[in-house]
Amino acid sequence: MENNTVEILLIEDNMNDAELAIRAFRKGNINNNLIHLKNGAEALEFLFATGKFEGRDTSKKPKVILLDLKMPKVDGLEVLAKIKASDLTKSIPVVVLTSSSEHPDIEHAYSLGANSYIVKPVEFDEFVKVVTELGFYWLLKNHPSL
Amino acid sequence: MIANKELAFQNVEKEKRAEQLMIANKELAFQNKEKKKRAAELIDSNKEVDELEKRVKERTEDLESFTYSVSHDLRTPLRAINGYANMLEEDYSGVLDSEGKRVLGEVRINAKKMGILIDDLLTFSRLGRKGISNSKVDVNELVKTVLLEINESTAHHAEIKYENLLPTIADYNLLKHVITNLLSNAIKYSSKKDKPFIEIKSERKKGVNIYSISDNGVGFDMKYVNKLFGVFQRLHSNEEFSGTGVGLAIVERIIHKHNGKVWAKGKEGQGATFYFSLPDVDKKTEKKQ
Repeated sequence: MENNTVEILLIEDNMNDAELAIRAFRKGNINNNLIHLKNGAEALEFLFATGKFEGRDTSKKPKVILLDLKMPKVDGLEVLAKIKASDLTKSIPVVVLTSSSEHPDIEHAYSLGANSYIVKPVEFDEFVKVVTELGFYWLLKNHPSL
Repeated sequence: MIANKELAFQNVEKEKRAEQLMIANKELAFQNKEKKKRAAELIDSNKEVDELEKRVKERTEDLESFTYSVSHDLRTPLRAINGYANMLEEDYSGVLDSEGKRVLGEVRINAKKMGILIDDLLTFSRLGRKGISNSKVDVNELVKTVLLEINESTAHHAEIKYENLLPTIADYNLLKHVITNLLSNAIKYSSKKDKPFIEIKSERKKGVNIYSISDNGVGFDMKYVNKLFGVFQRLHSNEEFSGTGVGLAIVERIIHKHNGKVWAKGKEGQGATFYFSLPDVDKKTEKKQ
């Protein structure tokens, strides 16, 4: 990890969803370095180089953060609020992952500064498509601010 | 003397009138008191009604959000089932024999079915929560649009007849949902006939428009008519005709939201007709003028 900059940060408490997302990235030929963090607390430790990530070079920012909203303890909205409130992390694009397009949290997420959201589709093929498009947009087309 | 007598008489009269007035005043005061009492009673019972309405609303909202979160949370494990079955198919198809592949296919088909079911349930619960935005709808055009969409997604050989359908006032997207559902049903349940025939008609009756969609399909026994619009109620097995049993419940909910009515007539083996009523456009505009 020291040598490779993490490009995709996946914050997802559901192991199945995480595995499917990672597989979808690989299937979509998005082979950027990805790290999967299993809950909100861990994500904050990583982003702000505290706890078990103490000493991590915070100038190395992920190109995109995929953030699940529904997580125990520190939920996605809380993580999002902290990301967007800190000068260190607020420029990193955050894509919110949700189970349905009607979730009331989506609006809340946007108001906190989420860059976009994707609905995790039930159909895996659909999931691959969505994740590929997303990866293409945020990793290739979008020029991150430095 | 006479004048004195006259005065005395007038005095008596005056006193009499004053007495009458006092009585009338008392009567009025009493009536006023009664009125106030009644008003207070009315306010009390109004409060009770408000309270009851509030409670019904709360309960309904609870139920809606329960349906919503249940169907919502069901998607997560379903996504896993579907995703892993897909992985198995992609990565291990080489080691699976034909029976293994068939079994895996069944898993995937059923996961997909459940996905549709959940989506239908979500639509149903969403309709309970969302308001409607009404506008004038050209129903004839709408039917045309819906048919184009159906023809694109479903292969069928039904002859479908309609002309000059009356316009109405409705939420365009919701009415589209109703027509799509009823037409798809008509096509589905007449698909096993040699010559499936579907007719859409409209007529003005007692200030409302009544629309009907008839087919010459399998129909139904009128003794089950009250089951048609229930959630998850089906009159056919999935092997005969596929479906989730939510479609007509959604139709009914949409029409009720428009203060309309929906009903059906049918005969086993001889087709069915579904009716729904919506406002008459002309009547509404006449009123406004």
